[in-house]
Amino acid sequence: MGWINKDTPIGGEFAGKPKKMSWERLWTFSGGPFTAEGWPKKNLHTDTAFAKNLGLPTVGVSATQYLGHLTELMLDLFGEEWLRHGKMRDVKFVKLVADADVLTSKAKVISKEKVGSEMKVNLRLSVENQRGDEVLIGLATGFVAIV
Amino acid sequence: MTEKKSAHLFKVGEEFEPLEFVVTPELNQQYLYAEEDFHPRYIETTREGPPLVHPGILYNMSNNTRSPSFFMPSGWGEIHAGEETEFLNPARVGKKIRVTWKVLKTFEKKGRPWHVLDILIVDEDGIQIMKRKMTNTFASLTIRKQGE
Repeated sequence: MGWINKDTPIGGEFAGKPKKMSWERLWTFSGGPFTAEGWPKKNLHTDTAFAKNLGLPTVGVSATQYLGHLTELMLDLFGEEWLRHGKMRDVKFVKLVADADVLTSKAKVISKEKVGSEMKVNLRLSVENQRGDEVLIGLATGFVAIV
Repeated sequence: MTEKKSAHLFKVGEEFEPLEFVVTPELNQQYLYAEEDFHPRYIETTREGPPLVHPGILYNMSNNTRSPSFFMPSGWGEIHAGEETEFLNPARVGKKIRVTWKVLKTFEKKGRPWHVLDILIVDEDGIQIMKRKMTNTFASLTIRKQGE
């Protein structure tokens, strides 16, 4: 069972735990399987020189890494059922996430609607860095039981 | 030998070569560390079956940069700009996962090429796990200099 239920008010806000994008976690996520020859694979998420060669100021953390953080928050909110019905849409990655940034996933209930025996809950999503800048914005929909 | 085609030149309807991989407990736990998410659901076998695959693996392994046919010339890179995800079923450790990619839309904005990809993840039993629409643009020093 998740943190959201039928009585959660519109405007209710939730946050995941802050996560530091350390080099160890960047390499582990984007460097390929540990068993791959030459691990970590050099790419724009793992290697500063590679990123600078593309005109970026430094490595850019893979957006899928913090989509994973956001999914963790959705599982906290809706329980494992999220993996059978959850939807994220209009997600935009609006700012570069660099190594050592600290990211926090956030969700706010923006509307609710009764659908059969369930409550459809619409959320505004964001991921913020340690300066309070939004690096990801988007929307999500999940369902909770009414009874 | 056929020359590889750069990802940014793919047209609507073209597909990247599918990827198949097995999520071992070790691979799953690699991503638990990366995601700082050590929930027991990803580690313990239950009455429902083996541990769940962490969604971070599914996201990462379904980026088209993971396709065996993905190629970009030196100095080029793909940048993930937008996303839609539909979660359909949990994936379980030990299953073979198959990812397919099809170019749904292409356009140009601010001098850069953009793609929207249709992505489907299924397991070895044909169970649909996740659908994605991934919006990408492409970066290179050449494009950056042209924009200056």
